[in-house]
Amino acid sequence: MSQEISLKEAERKAFRATYNDGLWDVLIGSFVLILAVAPLLSDRLGDFWSSVIFLPFWGLVYLAISLLRKHVVAPRIGAVQFSRARRTKLTRFTLVMVVANILALTLGIAALVFTGMRGGPTLLVLFGLVWLVAFGLAGYLLDISRFYVYGLLLAIAPLVGEWLYNNAGATHHGFPITYGFVAGVMILVGVVLFIRLLVQTSPQAGDGLPGEG
Amino acid sequence: MVAEPVAPDVQPLADIDQVIHASARLMILTYLYVVESADAVFLKNMTGLTWGNLSTHLSKLEEAGYVTIDKGFRGKKPQTTIRLTGQGREAFQVYRQRIRQVFDDLPE
Repeated sequence: MSQEISLKEAERKAFRATYNDGLWDVLIGSFVLILAVAPLLSDRLGDFWSSVIFLPFWGLVYLAISLLRKHVVAPRIGAVQFSRARRTKLTRFTLVMVVANILALTLGIAALVFTGMRGGPTLLVLFGLVWLVAFGLAGYLLDISRFYVYGLLLAIAPLVGEWLYNNAGATHHGFPITYGFVAGVMILVGVVLFIRLLVQTSPQAGDGLPGEG
Repeated sequence: MVAEPVAPDVQPLADIDQVIHASARLMILTYLYVVESADAVFLKNMTGLTWGNLSTHLSKLEEAGYVTIDKGFRGKKPQTTIRLTGQGREAFQVYRQRIRQVFDDLPE
């Protein structure tokens, strides 16, 4: 046996095989997209409605992803029920993302209320740190290393945006450019991974085992 | 009369469970050990076995009482769910222990 049997690695491989279809990336990318588009929409719709309008959009994306998982991904990669430890990690991941979104939203509102849309370096750094920690934890809990890169991109996005706003005449603190770029990267990576899955696997019409074992 | 083994340290190898020791079955059990259950499509993808091979090895594991195979339907498509039994889990742990026992003591 040339390779040591690593049960931990086998479990990771099984998990990655199930969740590496790129659909996570598309879903999270579509969430990040609000930070890019909402400032543009807020000029016409106001701050509240420019955010609320994304709810049906997210709903549609979520529905599309659920349908793709059920009808396209599952027949190709099969179904697996993970161990309790892995399920706990998934629950923690969900909690981390919920807390990160609430924190980001709170900081965003704080920026609006206390600084009159000017933000400020401390707030921007804090905002970036929330993303970095959230995606760092998500990468760790999901064993998906590209989430660390996403976290880093999201962390520097407000700072770069502010720089573009001050030095290059970008509107809306540069958010449409920087967050639009990060959302684009996430969605593109997701689409590429999904296409790769479609190319590398073929759908199984049920399973090929005999009717009775 | 059974000959005395040359290296007594490798004696546990003689007791190794031959049902598990076949590479295909070892792969199947490794994945079943780390998840709660998996369907046949998932196992086929992870192990790279053909349907015929997978079916044969699953039958052997089922005969040994190491896995349970439940045939059902997911929508209109047949789905076979495979799960490691308590006996299978225990046998796999003993297998690991024996293999480790032998190879850990070997000099580099």
